[in-house]
Order: sequence, then C-alpha cells, then structure tokens
Amino acid sequence: MKRITYIGQWFSDWYSIFVNELRLIFSDSGALIIFFLAGLAYPVIYNLIYMNGTVDDMPIAVVDKASCAESREFTHKLDATREVRVAYRCTDMGEAEKLLQERKVNGIVMFPEDFGERLAAMEQAAVSTYADMSSFLYYKNLLMAANHVMLDQMHEIQTGRYASAGFTGQEISQMVHPIRYKENIPYNRAFSYGIFFLSAALMIVIQQTMFYGSSLLAGTMREENRSFAVMPDKLKGRGISRTVLGRGAAYWLIYMAIGAYIAALVPRIFGLPQNGRFGDIFILLVFYVSACVLFSFTFSTLIRRRETVFVLFLFMSPVCLFLTGFSWPTESFPMFWKLFSYIFPSTFAAQAFIDMNTAGADLPMVRDQIMALTIQIVVYYLLSCLAVYIENRMLRRRAYIAQS
Amino acid sequence: MKFWHNVYKVIARELRLMRQRPVYLLASVAVMAFCSVFFLTFLGDGIPQDLAIGIVDNDDSSVSREFIRQLDATQLGKTVRFGSYTQAREALQTGRINAFCVLPENMYDDLLSYRQPTVTFYVNSLYFVGGALAYKDVLTMVNLTSGAVQREFLRARGMDEASIMGQIQPIVIDSHQIGNTTTNYGVYLTNVLLPGVLEMIIILVTVYSLGAELKYGTSRHLLEKAGGSMLAAMAGKLIPYTLLFTFLGISCDLLLYHWMHFPMAGSVWNIFAVTFVYVLSCEAVAVFLIGTLPVLRDAISVSAIYSVLGFSLAGFTFPVEAMPPYVQGLAALFPLRHYYLFYVQEAYFASGFSGWYMQVVYMLLFMFLPFTVYRRLYRAYSLQNYPKK
Repeated sequence: MKRITYIGQWFSDWYSIFVNELRLIFSDSGALIIFFLAGLAYPVIYNLIYMNGTVDDMPIAVVDKASCAESREFTHKLDATREVRVAYRCTDMGEAEKLLQERKVNGIVMFPEDFGERLAAMEQAAVSTYADMSSFLYYKNLLMAANHVMLDQMHEIQTGRYASAGFTGQEISQMVHPIRYKENIPYNRAFSYGIFFLSAALMIVIQQTMFYGSSLLAGTMREENRSFAVMPDKLKGRGISRTVLGRGAAYWLIYMAIGAYIAALVPRIFGLPQNGRFGDIFILLVFYVSACVLFSFTFSTLIRRRETVFVLFLFMSPVCLFLTGFSWPTESFPMFWKLFSYIFPSTFAAQAFIDMNTAGADLPMVRDQIMALTIQIVVYYLLSCLAVYIENRMLRRRAYIAQS
Repeated sequence: MKFWHNVYKVIARELRLMRQRPVYLLASVAVMAFCSVFFLTFLGDGIPQDLAIGIVDNDDSSVSREFIRQLDATQLGKTVRFGSYTQAREALQTGRINAFCVLPENMYDDLLSYRQPTVTFYVNSLYFVGGALAYKDVLTMVNLTSGAVQREFLRARGMDEASIMGQIQPIVIDSHQIGNTTTNYGVYLTNVLLPGVLEMIIILVTVYSLGAELKYGTSRHLLEKAGGSMLAAMAGKLIPYTLLFTFLGISCDLLLYHWMHFPMAGSVWNIFAVTFVYVLSCEAVAVFLIGTLPVLRDAISVSAIYSVLGFSLAGFTFPVEAMPPYVQGLAALFPLRHYYLFYVQEAYFASGFSGWYMQVVYMLLFMFLPFTVYRRLYRAYSLQNYPKK
C-alpha cells in the first residue's frame, strides 16, 4: 500500500513540475524566440542559402599560346563541362591574372607554345591550371573539369595514334582501356555543398537552440533567485529525479516536435535526400533529444545570468559543427579533439543522421552512435542530478545563514 | 577639455566594470584564445592523410595486390580490406570508409588476355573533404594502373621510355594554386574563421556591455559620469573595447601570418590597418542592434542569430555568386564578407590599396549606422522606458 502511494506521489510531483516548466517556457518570450523562431527559421534560412548546392559554369580564362587543334579542342571540352565555362580568352598570362584578381574569373588554363608540337612529336605535353584558392569549390571545379577533359583527350589521342599505327578498333580499345572502370557516387552525385552542410547543420540547430534556450531560462531563474534547481518545498529535499525528469519532459516534448520538423519535414520541403525510414529517424530523435535535454541541464549550471549564455557560448556552434566531421574527416581529428567531440550529443547524432537520412543506413548500422548517445544520456542524467543536489544544498545553506 | 575629462571618467568606470565582472574578458580574450587553439590544431595537418579506402579484392592476384600496395603508398589513402561487397557497402554507408574499389574476379587473367576487366568504385560524397580527396585518389590510381599495363605492352614492342610516357600519358596537368600553394585546408578556413569569431565576439560583447546599462538600470549613472553628454558616454564606453578588440584582432593576424607563417602575398601592415577598420564596423553594427532594440535580451538574441549567419554569408565556403539572387544582397550586410574580400585581394593577389579600397569603403559605411539610432539610444539611457526583463 505504501509503495503505491510513493509511486502515485512521484507521478503527481513529476506532473506538477512538468506542467510548471511548460508554463515557464511559454511565458518567456526570449526562450520562445530561440526555440521556435531560431529552431524553425534557421533550417529554412540555411536551405535558402545553400539551395543550389553546387557552383556550375564557373568562369575561367584560357590563355592559348599554342593555338593548335588539340588546345582548341581541349578548350571546347572544358567549356562543355558542368563545372566551368570559358568566359575569357586571353593572349597572355598578365591579362588573365588581372581578370583573376578582379574576380571576373576563378581559374586560368594555360597552354604553352610547345603544346601542339610536343603532342605531334609524341612527347608529353603539359597544360597548366591556376586555381583561385579563395574558395575550395573553385579549386575543386577547375581540378575536376581539367582532369576529366584531360583523360578524355588523352584517350582520344591514344586511339588516334594506335589507329595510324595500323591497329583495329577492338585492339585499340584493349590498349587504351586495358582496365575499364565504373564510378558510382551514390547519395550525393554532384558533390553538392548543400547536402553536406545541411545534414550536419540541421542536427546542430536542435542541440544549440535547446542549449541556449534552456540556459536562458535557467539564467533567468537564478537572477530571480528561484533557481532551476529549487524543488517544490513539500518534497523536503528529496525528489531530485522528479525535478530533473519533470523539467526535462517539458523540453523533450517541445523538441520532439521541433526535431520532427527539422529532421523530416525540412528535408521534404527542400528536396534533400530522404533515404532513411521515418521510424528509424524518429528513434534516433528520441535518443538525441533526450541526450540534448540532459546535456543542456548539465551545462546550464554554468550560467548565472540570462544573457551570458550567448556571450560566453555562442562560439561553440561553429566548433560543434566542425566536430561532427562533416567537413574535416573524423579519422584526421587530433586525438584530443576527438575525445572532446564525445562531449556533444551532436557529434553522434549528426553522423547517424547523415548515414540514415542520406546514405540510407538502417538503425542496426548506426548502433555505435545510438550506444554513445545512450551513454551520454546516463552520464548527463547523473551529472544534472548531481548539479541539482549541490545547488540545492548551497541554496539551503544560504537560506539558513540568511535566517539566522 | 571638459569633454575629455568626462570621457576619461567613463573609461575608468568601464575598466572597473570589466574587472568586477569576468564575463567581458572571458567572452573576448578566452573565447578568442580557445578558438585560435581549436582551429589551428584541429585543422593543423592541412591535408588529411591516410583516408580509409576500402578494397574488395575478388581476384587476389599479383596485379590486384600491386594495385592495393600502390594505393596504400599514396599519402592520402590507407586501404582497408573487406571480404565482400556487402560489408564494404555497409562501411561506406556508415561513413567508416570514404570510398571502396571492387577488383573483379579473374582481373589478372583478363588483363593478360586483353579482356578489359572492369574495376568498380564507390565514393561516399557525404563527407566533404574526405569524399572529394578519396575520389581523386582512386581515380588517379585506376588510370595509373591502366597506364602501367600499356607501358608493359609498349615495352614489349621495343618502344623507348620517353616515347612510352608520351603515349601512355600524352597530356599532364601542371596545377598551381594561387594564394594557397600547398592546398592547405587549414590555411583556407582558419584565415576567415578566426576573423568571423572576432566579429561574433565584438557584436555580442558590445551589445552586452551597452545593454547591461539598461538591464541593470545603471544608464543614468553612466550619463551622470559623462557629465550628461551622450557622446562622452559612448566614447568612454567604446574606447576600452575598441582597444581590446583591436589588440585581439592584431594578435590573431600576428599569430596567423607571423607565427604560423600562413601565406601572405601582400603586406601584413595592410592587414593590421584593415583589421582596425573591421573592428570599428563590427562595433557599429553592435551599436545599431542595441539602439534599435534597447532591451538587452532581445538585442542579444538577434545579435546571436545575425553573427552565426555571418559565417555562411561571407561566402568563403560556398561562394556567394552561387547562392540565390535574393540571398546574395544580404551578404553585403556583414562586415565579415567585406573583410574576406579584402583578405583575398591582399593575401592572395597582393593587389594593395587599389585592389581592396572599395571593401574598406563598405566597412566604413557601417559607421553611419550608429548615428541613425543615436537619439533613440540616448532616450532609452536617460528615460529607461524599456522593459528590463
């Protein structure tokens, strides 16, 4: 009988804390701006920025000192690639460099005088490319276009030479392509920057807006001397788990909705790949949102005043984004930063989300990430309970001192 | 004379506030130090090495083993063997490998008898740098192997080595990278990311410092110290921060171009000078934000949203000209965009003043912003008629 009362009491306390937290959230315009305006608008803004995803027909200048049939053909083929377009033909390098500096072109292709002669003499001929390194996409475009055209041209030249040496079609093909290759670039055929960036950024938005919003509320409460950690008086210092779980449930509920919007609806609206099953993604969200709530609780302990969370921690957003490994590969992380990245739920969730949503992996394949999130949930739960416990003791001691 | 005396009193008051509340120095000096250490060590290698590339070797012959050995020998690649296509595909899908090649059965026999075996490769293009580099590495290797087979054939026919090279690879690409000759990814990102972090710090700290006067109701005390002059109050409040941020910016420039020896075609003195203008333009944005929204918590939220967007809209990762037209115009609203364009001119092309003066003009245009909200902020300071909470 006593046991039932305890459980009943637990749930009734939990419920009142939960409802109270929801009321607090919805009566704070600052938190609402962060949760709903930033949480809902950021994904849309980023999608608009990166909508095109690739840089197509990047302007380049061609300096053709050779002016032979091969160099002209090379130029035509370059112009025909998706990556670049020949916007200027210059007579000397000085002119082309000026165009590059004025940002009218983002790359230069130069054929030296002896280009045609060397080819005619069956010697190796070089074509020089100069890439504008101010964005890696310029470099990548020029490199890809020049390489593909070079390979194509190379096979053509070889074919022509073997043909004039008296070989027949089948033999020529066997010699020019002793090995054939077939390339498959699934998931992101065109190396679209939007797909790289957004998949990671969407997960970061969930974690960061929740952290900023909940810290904002925690800071406000501390300013008003009604700490986040204060438990209802009738609990007499017991019921830490009720407090943490009750408050957590409020954020959890809101973020499951925002998370479903970010992880399922936004990709649908903007035509991002959606190769995962919704059920799998939803399960990932359950783990991720739980880990984020407890992560935010743990670290919001550091926030004493309302606005300081932004001033002190906003820089963590770009840092967390890099720690997901979306850009710089995880295997090249220095060991220290690799361990550091384990602090953040976003590291694992972004990897799992990219694998499932874009690469079509299923839940068992991302078990490592789910396991890591589970560990985070347990660790951050214990830490946030500890934080509540310590803060309560400090508050009660202060109240005691104030009384006496 | 009286004016400067008032300014001096406000500066003294501000320095006392900075001593009393650690948030100002933590949010500027500590954040900048952390980010410098983070980006310089995180991207320290410059180019990733030993990217995992999977191999499914269905042939297991001397040719296939040679192919694997060659791929392993490249600086970029490190091969990982898989027993089957399914295992490799799963590793690709979960991002453990960046690409994988399937070497077909009977590859060796087919090669010997000119049956043109087909090597299939798969690239994970979801991880930016790893995917693109692994693609390049595998493509090069397949073509080199093709070339090696042709070389054997031509040797057997008695062709000399120089002509063989002319035949198996008639055209070579001699690629040059302007401004970043070593294709160092760290150089490329850090040079713009750190000024971006500085922009974020300047805007947040300045908004916080000006807004805190409103929030804690100390703005009248401030005006009193300034002898009732708003100009003296603003000058006194901003001078210490301008010095602090300029110090941070120039330290960062020194760190990058002097200590780390990042490529700098132009003059580092120009970088110092423009860093100062950049600091002023970021402060101008901050004053505008708090003047428009003289409620600290709203202003700080808007500042946060604005400064995070600055990174994307600077256009150094994804170029602005490839963004939709209505987004392109927005990019001009961020000092970081102009700093980036200036930096490219100076550090890559050494174009000097004539190449980048327009960017400095744009940055100076931001300086008009505070004047549009000057009266509004003064009224907020003296009347304290906005909600504090």
